[in-house]
Amino acid sequence: MNADPHLTPKKKRMTLQASLPLIGVGVGILLIIGPFLAGLIRSLLLWVGNDPQVSLANYSWLLTDTRIRTAALNSLICGLGAMSVSLVLGTSLAWIVSRTNVPGRETLRTLNLIPFFFSPYVGAIGWIFLIAPYSGLMQTSLGSLLGVSFEGPNIYSLAGVIWILSLFYTPYVYLFVISPLQRMDAAFEDAARVHGASFWTTIRLVTLPLLQPGLLSAALIVFVTSAGLFDVPLALTATKGIRTMPTEVFALVRYPSDLGRAAAFGIFITAITIVLTLWQRAHLSKRRYEIISGKGYKPRVIELRTTGTLIALAIEVLYLLTSVVLPVLALVLVALSPLWTGRFNPATATLANFSYVLFDYSLTRQAILNSLFLAVTGATLGVMLSGLQSYYLIRVRSGFKSFIDAILALPLGIPGIVLSLFFLIFAIRTPLYGTLAILLIAYIARFFPFATRTISAMLSAIHPELEESARANGATWAQTMRFVLLPLLRPALIAAWIMLFIIFIRELGASILLYASGTETISIAMLLLSENSVGYVAALALIQLVLLLTGFSLFRLTKVSAIQ
Amino acid sequence: MRQDAPDDFVTIRNVTKKFGEFRALDGLSFSVREGGTLALLGPSGCGKTTMLRCLAGLETPEEGFISIAGKVVFDSAKGINLNPEDRGLGVVFQSYAVWPHMSVVENVEFPLRVRGVAPAERRARAMEILEIVGLTAFASRSATQLSGGQQQRVALARALVHKPALVLFDEALSNLDAQLREHMRLELQALQDRLGFTALYVTHDQGEALGLAETIILMNAGQIEASGPARQVFMTHHSSFAARFFGLNVVETARLAAPHAIAGKPFIAFQREYVRISEGVTGPGSDDLVLLGTIATRSFQGLADEYAIDLGNDVSVRVLDRSGAFSPGQAVSIAISRKDLFLLDA
Repeated sequence: MNADPHLTPKKKRMTLQASLPLIGVGVGILLIIGPFLAGLIRSLLLWVGNDPQVSLANYSWLLTDTRIRTAALNSLICGLGAMSVSLVLGTSLAWIVSRTNVPGRETLRTLNLIPFFFSPYVGAIGWIFLIAPYSGLMQTSLGSLLGVSFEGPNIYSLAGVIWILSLFYTPYVYLFVISPLQRMDAAFEDAARVHGASFWTTIRLVTLPLLQPGLLSAALIVFVTSAGLFDVPLALTATKGIRTMPTEVFALVRYPSDLGRAAAFGIFITAITIVLTLWQRAHLSKRRYEIISGKGYKPRVIELRTTGTLIALAIEVLYLLTSVVLPVLALVLVALSPLWTGRFNPATATLANFSYVLFDYSLTRQAILNSLFLAVTGATLGVMLSGLQSYYLIRVRSGFKSFIDAILALPLGIPGIVLSLFFLIFAIRTPLYGTLAILLIAYIARFFPFATRTISAMLSAIHPELEESARANGATWAQTMRFVLLPLLRPALIAAWIMLFIIFIRELGASILLYASGTETISIAMLLLSENSVGYVAALALIQLVLLLTGFSLFRLTKVSAIQ
Repeated sequence: MRQDAPDDFVTIRNVTKKFGEFRALDGLSFSVREGGTLALLGPSGCGKTTMLRCLAGLETPEEGFISIAGKVVFDSAKGINLNPEDRGLGVVFQSYAVWPHMSVVENVEFPLRVRGVAPAERRARAMEILEIVGLTAFASRSATQLSGGQQQRVALARALVHKPALVLFDEALSNLDAQLREHMRLELQALQDRLGFTALYVTHDQGEALGLAETIILMNAGQIEASGPARQVFMTHHSSFAARFFGLNVVETARLAAPHAIAGKPFIAFQREYVRISEGVTGPGSDDLVLLGTIATRSFQGLADEYAIDLGNDVSVRVLDRSGAFSPGQAVSIAISRKDLFLLDA
């Protein structure tokens, strides 16, 4: 270095480059730690008269109360049930469209993803209309055909919950295994075949074990999400007195309200989630291996014979019918009927329900506006936050990165209702309570990790030299971001935005404890009306689906442009 | 099934394989004797790997007949097409395909496991073959912890453990560095002497083919361009494709300044090594072909210099010379003995 005093760098204040990503990370950590601490403190407090005391009473109650044990057991059953069914179904569907010559597999590949964008809550409502005991469409239409009245399978049960969850979480498994199935070095399977293994032995001993990391991640996500999902058990089993952990949290807050016990329960659920996530991280880091050699042939496509084609198509058709076509059909029929009696009468069909919820009914009108506002604003803020966090996680040199990464990923597994419980405790005595802002904050806090994952994945695939060459050619950091990195990242930013938009449009668990009169969302309005006005519920559900499908189509478009 | 000839251990007759309109294999026929080694040699896209995959049952030809060790494994006329697992082969894949979710010994004992060999026996046999390839110490390691050369030995052990009659090698040595490759080549020969299997190599590398195989088939566009004992295929050339593939200079006679010098054939070919350069314009030797040209480039290759010599009319040849006496721009004449000259029809 020369001694020219003009060239010696001054002790500088923090640059934009250093501070912006740190702000993103800081806000993210605050959004997680803040409500968590509020919940933790509240769980340790017990009011004696007007004086709060520090006590472990809430936790000892937790360990002894049978309600908690039953709820935990029910959640375990739902989680394991949905996990098993969607593992089998998701892997089968992925295998069919990626490894066989089933006709129309390009189209099926897209169609299989539609349930991913659907709302399981809406799916549950659709299935209630379909097969509610005695009064479901299936029972009434089959019954009038055969001249009998019958009960049919009981959708208001844990089996019903598992059925709905499986239908809508199958795409998670599908997404996790389809890419390794498509890109796996074919030589792994070929080597098994030529050395004496039959087709099925190869699947058992080679293909499935090689998919294991993806299957394990998918299994854990489906388990944690299913066990923590609030809306489907609420719609199907809550009225029958069967509660899972999330609906039990709701009950603890509402009837009768005991925030201390609810908080203790929430902390307990959070702890389980953290343990599961840490176990998965440890396990995956041990078992990470490359199954794409880049030297091998493309995986072989199995030429199906007639029977095979029929079976494959039957699985596909059944899945798409049960997850999309039938529930939507039921919703359409109910929404078009002025008064739902379990039968559809084309003569009286009317759009009155739609016009009422869209224009005339202030609750639903406001709810649609609120949902749109939350989704658009939340997705925008969430993507900004996640973009900064991704930059920190991928580009900034730091010794705490894996720790920060782990913290920022925490909300992935925490049930929405637990996080919103913590936010409720956090905000209940502040002016934030009862505003759309608190809903917005809770949404972002619960779901930004999804966006951070998407953006980080793409950012880590962009070589830093692309930015460095801009800097070397005289661009400032801000210019480099604007002219080089952000345009390159655009597909991921758009995909993350649409994903958050879709999640926010349908979210119920994170809203249920935080909404107030005037800040209802579409899902809340459906819940409020579900007791007496099924026509409005069906119309609202369809409006929500239209919004979700718009998101889905946009998502497909951007994925195409990302590939090009 | 009667065999065509007593020494036809592997018989391939009229095998045609199409990908869409593209004929990857165009009526290919050849045979391998028992215990023999044959190399399918050719540039990428010539169909050699497709042939190997048809032999292994990983691709199904449209037409043809394949028998291995007296057993018909494919016959389009009779509708016979055995599954890969029923052909009883050993295959070493180009990417090795060592399964990352199994340990080394689990990889190696896999062929025995799927054949229902009892655990104790298959472990013993796997250890035996691992000793032969020198990997005993790595038996319980995860396959992902091995180097490329070690993975290749695992793949080799796995292909040999069930004592297959025929072992196929797909670019088996291409991914190894030069030193390791030479070592492995010698080892493969020793192994074959010891275990007595028949070997079929697929490679694009002439050195690998010449070193490993007693018989070579040079392939081009799904057909056989040249075949025979390795030395013969290397030393005699009947087509410009073969000559070019082995690195010879191939020159279109019509482009030469003195086409009358070569009796009527459209192409001549000669090795880079068998050319003498002299300064300026010198008269022809008794029986030499002499051509005039200008040195275009010179590159130092260690023992010799390689010159690109411009003969005019867009003809350029490469010549190796040890003298180091010439430099770019210099006018030279080159002389090739008639005995070193191949006269080619196509």
